[in-house]
Amino acid sequence: MSRTSANLPFTLLIAVIVVAAGAMPALSGTSFELSRYLTNAIGQLAAFAVLAISLDLIWGYLGILSLGHGLFFAIGGYVMAMYLLKHSFVVTGTVPDFLQFMGWKEFPFYWAGFDVFPYAFAVAVAVTLLISGIFGYVSFRSRVGGVYFAIITQALVYVAMLLMFRNDTGFGGNNGMTGFSVLFGWPMGTSGMITALAVASLLALALVLVACRRLVGSRFGALMLATRDDETRLRTLGYETLRLKLIVWCLSALIAMLAGMLYVPQVGIINPRVLSPELSLEIAVWVAIGGRGHLVGAVIGALLVNAVKFWLSSAAPDIWPFILSGLIVLVVLVFPNGLMDLAKLRLTRPMGPRRMATELEEARP
Amino acid sequence: MTQKVPPLLLLGLLAGALLAPASPVRADSLDRAALVQELCGDAGAMGKAGATLVTTAAAGSAEDREWAAPLARAAIDRKLACDEAGAMLDEGGLDAVTRAPRAAAGTPRSPLLSLKNRPVFELADAAFALRGSPAVAQRTAALKTLERRPALIPEGLLEGAAAAESDAGLREQIDTLSQTAALNASDPAARIRAIGRVAENPSRRALTRISALTADPAYAANPDFRTAVDDATRRIERGIAIGDTLATLYNGLSFASILFMAAIGLAIIFGLMGVINLAQGELIMIGAYVTWLVQQGLRHAAPGLLDWYLVLAIPVAFLATAGIGIALETLLLRHLYKRPLMSLLATWAVSLFLVNIVRVVFGTQNMQFETPFYVSGGVPVIGDFIFTWNRMFAIAFAAVTLALTWLVVRKTPLGLNIRAVTQNRDMAACIGIPTRRVDMMAFGLGSGLAGLAGLALSPIYSVNPQMGQNFIIDSFMVVVLGGVGTIAGTVVAALGIGQINVLIEPLWGAVAAKVIVLLMIIAFLQWRPEGLFAVKGRRK
Repeated sequence: MSRTSANLPFTLLIAVIVVAAGAMPALSGTSFELSRYLTNAIGQLAAFAVLAISLDLIWGYLGILSLGHGLFFAIGGYVMAMYLLKHSFVVTGTVPDFLQFMGWKEFPFYWAGFDVFPYAFAVAVAVTLLISGIFGYVSFRSRVGGVYFAIITQALVYVAMLLMFRNDTGFGGNNGMTGFSVLFGWPMGTSGMITALAVASLLALALVLVACRRLVGSRFGALMLATRDDETRLRTLGYETLRLKLIVWCLSALIAMLAGMLYVPQVGIINPRVLSPELSLEIAVWVAIGGRGHLVGAVIGALLVNAVKFWLSSAAPDIWPFILSGLIVLVVLVFPNGLMDLAKLRLTRPMGPRRMATELEEARP
Repeated sequence: MTQKVPPLLLLGLLAGALLAPASPVRADSLDRAALVQELCGDAGAMGKAGATLVTTAAAGSAEDREWAAPLARAAIDRKLACDEAGAMLDEGGLDAVTRAPRAAAGTPRSPLLSLKNRPVFELADAAFALRGSPAVAQRTAALKTLERRPALIPEGLLEGAAAAESDAGLREQIDTLSQTAALNASDPAARIRAIGRVAENPSRRALTRISALTADPAYAANPDFRTAVDDATRRIERGIAIGDTLATLYNGLSFASILFMAAIGLAIIFGLMGVINLAQGELIMIGAYVTWLVQQGLRHAAPGLLDWYLVLAIPVAFLATAGIGIALETLLLRHLYKRPLMSLLATWAVSLFLVNIVRVVFGTQNMQFETPFYVSGGVPVIGDFIFTWNRMFAIAFAAVTLALTWLVVRKTPLGLNIRAVTQNRDMAACIGIPTRRVDMMAFGLGSGLAGLAGLALSPIYSVNPQMGQNFIIDSFMVVVLGGVGTIAGTVVAALGIGQINVLIEPLWGAVAAKVIVLLMIIAFLQWRPEGLFAVKGRRK
């Protein structure tokens, strides 16, 4: 039922993304060419949309709110930055700033091999799976959920931030890592590279969207919704919800990691601020505003909030926090399903996807 | 230097040892004429005179000191005129012995101090100044001169000076120098006694001073001395270790107090409504800012009461934050009753709003707080451990808060209702408890407690719009660890997390402390997912 009711928006969104991805390189050189700033902004928005999907997958479809998804985003981002720095070093001989800052002669031993992208990617996947796997296993096994889970994940990302703020970890410390010059052998910062990255991000977004769509539409997806709505009943019926939750949790972490890998080459810097609890909370806000439990909603929420943020951060940086808090209150009080409520209001459909009856369960000890 | 040598005996010794047999000295007082005669003598005689002056400064009677003080100064400045009738002080034309005005007899001659004698006279001059000068600045300058040659300072001088000293800071400096001087004394017995005395007040400074003695020749030569030094080192090290442990525990206790006050409100609200208030840190911050406002208000309205602003701010901070909490509950959380995850986001929006509104109104800088007398200073206990009053204030404040919270929850109708609703909301509603009203009051109580936490930490931590975030995650962990809605759990968890933080911090740093605490909590939840003191009930 949920598939049919949201089919049209989904198809539309995919079409828009693919057309945008095709149009950007096609228009370059013509008078309709987008500015570098705008192209770059679109690419970053796409990365954020991927991040929003990752959170929607576990919050919207499994009812588990993570306030620490910035951690997996940061793993992807940091590994990408390490790859870029090591690769630039191998190609051009540029010594990264943080090595000079620390007075180190060479890269720490754990940087070995990071100039090879497949290896770096494998490391990112392995680290993400390791952390999400262990943390997910111990949490879900002892049936930590709801608000408890949310604040423990928040503590996790906070502690990771403190750790990365240290300068002696070999990951750039509080200055982070920047000064990337070469990606896959191509110089960074050119118009072509910016367009290519934006297109890659858009295509990745489309791919993740379609894949997640298939997942939540499958039998496995039905189990996810069932776990969200009444886990006890599902367990009573003999389903192993621990494994199910763990799989989705790790998958979600991997998608967040992918978003980080897409994001870092486009902003050209990573520092421990991506690990601040605020960013992780903001992801939840994007999803809430877009409407959780809807992949399209998560994407639109991320695009909308971040577009406003990009615009305001240059126009009126001081009022952004007030607008954001106002938006949250509005969504939370008036539109509990975010923009999806607005859409329904207009289209006068009957209440489509199943109502969110999820949260009462979680937090009553 | 430890024991007062009777002046009589001392002067007797002086007569035999210091002064030549040609100038006999009356055993009970200074032979003034002989001293003046020596001052006009050759370098050797002047040296003896210098030694006499030093001894007089240390152990002479008050009259003798007063009489002899100008002589040292005059000899240094060459204002002493030796003539045929003895000597005269240039200033005022007084006779050096009788201090009566007289005319010079013959051609006066001003003796020049030899290079060897000069330091002795300077020492004597400084010693007289330290004991007799009316101005603190002059006494301080004199002490500085003495500090240059601690080994030459005669026994008894500094004790006498310290006993008469009225300025507390200078007295402390004199005591310090007195110990140093004793450690460097020429008499081994006096040195050993001095070592024992230094070891009575263990501190890192004392350890440095004693361990410097191992390089002293006497350490190798004199077994008694070596034993004394080794003993003292051991005693001081033990004292320092005890002091450091106590200091760590004390810091942990004060940190735990703040954590407790931040977390108890969270725990009550969480137990009652299943809501974690992400704005709790900002309520702490508001409490601190309200305290600051009270201080500024008193400064203008009643400067005489300024010292008591911390006490007067207690009801104001509580009511202000409780008011914000009640507004928050009524306007927002009431409508999110069945959606705790959404209420998490809503309270975060509030926290974002509060941080930024404070930033806009007050700016981002740290607020300046007066330090009233009851939270300034401290009592040195042992080693380098100082029992500071500002931390004691936080601890005592938390203890009182704990007692009051316990009374409210256990002994008042509101507390009874809170407990009933926490245990079973539906059943409580059935028997006529106004659950929404209880929610509101409990939220106000919890928020007010956060405001009090802000008040208590304003004398210890810096107060700025971001301050709430430093405590909030730790207080979440306290709630997770302690379990829901139990005061005892919150107390134990706050103490545990506070102490573990400060115990690990010196070993591996603050970050490692946080990492380890988090890992321990996650591991702990494997064993007891509902916290330390979970209320018994059906597990969902």
